[in-house]
Amino acid sequence: MEMSVIWRRTVPQLLVAIILVVMTALYFLYIDKTTKATLNYWDQLLINYSIVIAALAAIVGGVDLARYHVALIMKREREQIPFSLITLFLEVVCVVFAFYALATGVPILTQPQFSWIYLNLQVPTSSAMYSILVFYVASAAYRTFRARNPPALLLLIVGVIVMLGNTSLGFVIWPGFTPLKDWIMTVPNAAGYRPIVIGVGLGTIILGLRLILRKEVTWMGRRD
Amino acid sequence: MDGEEGLKMGTSLKRLDTIIGTRQLLYTLLIIFTLIPMFFPLRLPISISARTKKVYNYIDNLKPGSYIFIDFDYDPAGRGEIEPQAVAMMKHLFDKKCKLVMASLGTTGPVMFEIMRKTNPDIFAGKEYGKDWVNIGYVAGGESAAAGLARSISGTVAMDAYGNPIGNLPLIKEADKAEQFALAIVFTTGTDTLYYFVRQWFTPYKTPLILGILGVMGPAAEPFVAAGQAVELMVGQVAGAEYEVLVGRPGIGLGAMDAQSTSHAIILIFIILGNIMFWSVRLRGEKR
Amino acid sequence: MIEAIQIWLSAALVIWIWSFVYKDNYLYRLAQHIFLGAAAGYSIGISLDSLNKTALVPLAKSPTTNMHLIIPIIIGLLFFFKYSRRYYWVARYGVGIALAVGTALAFRTAPMANIIRQVNAVLLPLWTPDPVKTLNNWIHVVITLSALVYFIFTVTPRVVEGRPTITYRLYDAVLRIGIYGMMVAFGATLANTIMTRLAFFISMNLQYLQPYPLESLSAIILVAIAILFAMRRARAG
Repeated sequence: MEMSVIWRRTVPQLLVAIILVVMTALYFLYIDKTTKATLNYWDQLLINYSIVIAALAAIVGGVDLARYHVALIMKREREQIPFSLITLFLEVVCVVFAFYALATGVPILTQPQFSWIYLNLQVPTSSAMYSILVFYVASAAYRTFRARNPPALLLLIVGVIVMLGNTSLGFVIWPGFTPLKDWIMTVPNAAGYRPIVIGVGLGTIILGLRLILRKEVTWMGRRD
Repeated sequence: MDGEEGLKMGTSLKRLDTIIGTRQLLYTLLIIFTLIPMFFPLRLPISISARTKKVYNYIDNLKPGSYIFIDFDYDPAGRGEIEPQAVAMMKHLFDKKCKLVMASLGTTGPVMFEIMRKTNPDIFAGKEYGKDWVNIGYVAGGESAAAGLARSISGTVAMDAYGNPIGNLPLIKEADKAEQFALAIVFTTGTDTLYYFVRQWFTPYKTPLILGILGVMGPAAEPFVAAGQAVELMVGQVAGAEYEVLVGRPGIGLGAMDAQSTSHAIILIFIILGNIMFWSVRLRGEKR
Repeated sequence: MIEAIQIWLSAALVIWIWSFVYKDNYLYRLAQHIFLGAAAGYSIGISLDSLNKTALVPLAKSPTTNMHLIIPIIIGLLFFFKYSRRYYWVARYGVGIALAVGTALAFRTAPMANIIRQVNAVLLPLWTPDPVKTLNNWIHVVITLSALVYFIFTVTPRVVEGRPTITYRLYDAVLRIGIYGMMVAFGATLANTIMTRLAFFISMNLQYLQPYPLESLSAIILVAIAILFAMRRARAG
């Protein structure tokens, strides 16, 4: 095998496999109290490292967005340029103030300019972005809650009971809607969702095993 | 009615269906119906569900002075659903003289915490920072952060959200690990976060969990309660409104309940109309 | 003065974003790009905050004992190599370690949390003195098992000519129960989704618009003009 392939693929894959095996062993292994304390120390160290790395990964995500908008500007589309400039400008301003806070020892969240931007620009826009979904959900409810066949009829009945159980409207019509909703949620619904929780667990175990066996390669990004 | 006439009837019904289904019409009616309670407050009574009552009793039966961990990480959109729960429950906890350690696994959590604190200053009145409550702020890493904080808060972060060294906070000296907390409450808009806490807090340390979540996440989180991994769920704005009634402090949750009823009513009317349309079109078709 | 601008800006941004459901327009796109920039900048800032309290502060305070924290910082910085045409693979060391620790944490607790506990929850007594409890337990067990068959352990029995075999009928019944169980779950989810979306919408109203009718009205007028403009342009183009 070529030397470069070893450094490019084999070593990162082995590193992932080793960390997985070691951390699983650290969790289940018990010899005596002192050994456990040592093992816990190493476990915590690995966890702390991954927290630090995750913070840097999130920063790279922000840089990705900036690169995307720089590319849009470079394409010279007259319509898009002013908008991309606004995005870039705000992002850069935030980052500048964040670094300024870091340099002066002020906690970033309490830095006045930084917090002005997130309180007055980020919070309202981001909540508005999600809240427009209400319109799509309302028209989806109009289209999906139709008793086309027996399963759809059941969907409709359950949906209406839960909707009424969620509001005072239902309580005014019949006080029994709230307990009925609670029963639907805790009995048939919980049973219906349990396979999904089990499925998530199986998926996690399979992902772990694939990483240990070096079968999982998607995380490495582009092919070489 | 002869065949042709029935067919004509069918097409005009279909046309009516399209008109009712026109999104602008539905959107406009929806806006109007949510605004109705603003001009004509209905003050409909609200029922207290047995589940919210269970959460209330659980917190009421905690030993005074218990240590509570709160993961505060909903996003700005989720404020209307989760903030009422958070405010009412935190008021109850503070009244019970519990000591709260807040942290956020999601990036928007710290902002939402600050907004909550500024808009509800009475909750924190008379409570001393560092002794009665602490805010760690955002910790990156998702599941790693949950695991790290469960093992040791002071071993994971060196300072809190306001720049105080973690070693200077008396509360963290008393409550540093998952085992030392009588309860962990997760206020989140991310389903993944629920798995993080079930896996990293409940599974190894058996810390009881109460999950304060969005309505949309509720059904998928039920298996955790059925399996005993969470004490109970607080689902959506309605749970927050119920808790506000229980602690006697009306807020956004209760304020939104009338609008919830009127807007649910318009959606229910549309669902009924949709079914009438569907069946009349289908029955006409069959007759023909 | 600044406060007045803040209030107007918040109300206007909300209304401009909502205007998208009627028609895409310039003010919507302006608000959308403000959101993108502010959100990205905020997430970088808050991540720096996390980095600060988990690595930079300990390093600055006691450099000798915390020297080892340089290691994760360097590994994290390796992420930036993904932009390099030649050395893109160096980033894999950072991605790999973060992925490995995250997966390991889930991997070692999932068997207990996601599987054993959930299977335990279905091991319920099917005959109890309380008829309601008995019925609930039956529903729990039957729906879980049939939905499990539907979702995960799917097998398709052979269809034979003529009368269907008993195995086929049994399997068909199990699948049907599974489907009905999931319909209950989906119905509940859809209904709760409606509550959540309405809650988002109503509380936006309560927080940003209802207390400030003049600000809201002026923003609505502006966006109405923008929509008319967009419609005229669409007709012309």
